[in-house]
Amino acid sequence: MDARLRRVNKEIADCKNDQSSNIDIDLVDNSPFHLVGSFDGPEGTPYEGGHFQVDIVIPESYPFQPVKMKFITKIYHPNVSSASGAICLDILKDAWSPVLTLKSTLISLQSLLCSPEPRDPQDAEVAKHYMTSKSSFEETARYWTEIYAGGPGKTGKARASAPKDEVAIAGLDPAHVQQFQSLGFEKGKVIDVLRRLNYRGANVANINDDRVVEELLKP
Amino acid sequence: MAAQTSSGRTDVDRAECASLQGEEWEVLESIYPDCVSGNLTSGLVKLEIPIEFPEPRTVYILDDRTQLSTGNLGSDTAVLGPSSIPVSSSLPLTTLPPLLLDVLLPATYPYSPPVIQTLHATNSWLPSCLKLQRMLLEMWQDGEGLLYNWIELIRSGEFLETLGMCSDVNGEEVIRIYHSAPHLLTPLLKVYDQSTQLTRFSQTSYECQICLTAIKGARCISLSCSHVFCRACLEDFWRLCITEGDVGHVGCPDPQCVKAGREANEEEVRRVVTEEEVRRWKWLREKRELEKDPSIIHCPMSFCQRPVLKPTNVDDGSGWERLRECPDCGYSFCAYCKRTWHGPLSDCPISMTESFVLEYLALPEGSPEREVLERRFGRNNIRKLVAKYNEEQANKQWLDSSTMSCPSCQVHVEKSLGCNHMTCTKCKTHFCYRCGDKLQANDPYVHFSTPGHRCYSKLFDFQSIDDEWQPVEGFDLL
Repeated sequence: MDARLRRVNKEIADCKNDQSSNIDIDLVDNSPFHLVGSFDGPEGTPYEGGHFQVDIVIPESYPFQPVKMKFITKIYHPNVSSASGAICLDILKDAWSPVLTLKSTLISLQSLLCSPEPRDPQDAEVAKHYMTSKSSFEETARYWTEIYAGGPGKTGKARASAPKDEVAIAGLDPAHVQQFQSLGFEKGKVIDVLRRLNYRGANVANINDDRVVEELLKP
Repeated sequence: MAAQTSSGRTDVDRAECASLQGEEWEVLESIYPDCVSGNLTSGLVKLEIPIEFPEPRTVYILDDRTQLSTGNLGSDTAVLGPSSIPVSSSLPLTTLPPLLLDVLLPATYPYSPPVIQTLHATNSWLPSCLKLQRMLLEMWQDGEGLLYNWIELIRSGEFLETLGMCSDVNGEEVIRIYHSAPHLLTPLLKVYDQSTQLTRFSQTSYECQICLTAIKGARCISLSCSHVFCRACLEDFWRLCITEGDVGHVGCPDPQCVKAGREANEEEVRRVVTEEEVRRWKWLREKRELEKDPSIIHCPMSFCQRPVLKPTNVDDGSGWERLRECPDCGYSFCAYCKRTWHGPLSDCPISMTESFVLEYLALPEGSPEREVLERRFGRNNIRKLVAKYNEEQANKQWLDSSTMSCPSCQVHVEKSLGCNHMTCTKCKTHFCYRCGDKLQANDPYVHFSTPGHRCYSKLFDFQSIDDEWQPVEGFDLL
């Protein structure tokens, strides 16, 4: 049995025995080198109440090379790609140390949810949203937690099956979307353009309508 | 029997004493198996008690003559302040060599006091053995086992305090040892401390944070940052980094040390990986160091590629500045064209200057990239080359616009007047000044008299050449 397998087995067993950290690691298929980690969103954050799953791939030269992790659960966070779930975290790259374990890395991910680092973003649009209006960002992040991660939402109940509100997912004001939609543009297109332009909060004053229409007219 | 009379007890039950002694001895043997030896029935026992501090302590080893000159030991710390201590003789120590006690336990012990036959400090480091002996005997209390208390008092180093060998220097409790030959004692104490710590390290079990297994210290390595890892894991880790050229990660694997970029030193690397890997590690480090210098150029030999530094002591702007000599393979080459050295005066066989002059001119003035080029090739050299390049460009422009070159020998010819049939003064080739075509020597004028030809009836062509040239189809190819 090679050292990598021995260590991964130990880590999985260690995680199973540890009830206090609330970090779970489960096998996908039967290989110990492809796993799914999961944890709860930290309290006092927009991710509270959500349950987040992370895809874990153990590379050939683990633990000397960093483990590959990405979010399976969609999450609205400046350091996580809203499209692919890719994560921007130093310990998953050059600050990786062979002393770090799957559990400690997942705990680091959990704490990344508590303290976003928008100046080093993985998702530039989300980071811009965060910088422009933190309250609007948090509202969107909470909505994502509600619809994708089984969070409680405003109603206090998980409603993963409820119809999804595209405007809220994009973190936009329904009035803004309506305003351009009424000019005759298709709703999806309006959402896409306003999201890309970061048409939120104080930034709305910096973007005049012509600029929006110009973008909307682009094929 | 002096001991018995002094205790005032002659009526003690010898059987009870024997059983008390036996009990005490059993306890000592189980707690301190390394410290006690001897034969209880004869009453002669040997105690060998090392001094082990929980934390490293600073120990000053001083010449005992300074003690005499500074007066009363310990009571006057102002006189014995740090200024009077020669710095060279201070050591951080966790252990001191053991004290050896030969003790006679009378048959009536513990109802009569034990007798210390000898008290000796290994390496004679303890100056006041007699004082300690008196102190130990004073601890005796009628009917109570004494040996355990002795061992504890000595092992913990507490007795040093009682003997007045400790004093406060800058808020730290230091130990002073007065000795007749500090220069002899100091290395002995150091060696003893190191070997004891090494033994202790190799016997202790450590949880390697990489393989997550408890491993005996003998198979572990303690790095200079005092993080401990098992040798096998460290070897795997460093070998991978060295193989992949990731020299920056050959260091302590602890996350904090990784973030701080703490790299291993040569001694550590040597202890872990093979000689060949050490060589590659050193080469990688040297390469990284050299590559910080913008003036380096890699040896053009494909098997070598060693970074080669700019020669020192060469006049700025002289041709010698281009010379590079590879210290590994010995290849001498020109820094401009990277071909074998062609002397300081002759130009490169293939002009390389134009490409880096263009590169230089493309960069904004005063930019750091320009500075790199200036450092690599020499500022004055670059200026000369730029001036030369500009002049050449102007020449070329003039030649292109005002001359035609001979199709055979390429010499440029400027026509001042006359017809367009030219004969090269250098190689005697006949050619057309309008289009540059070669003409037949026996009948050069057919070029101008063939109807439909682009130079038909253009033997005498007094109009500006530029105006006529451009519309002619296919001519711009020339």
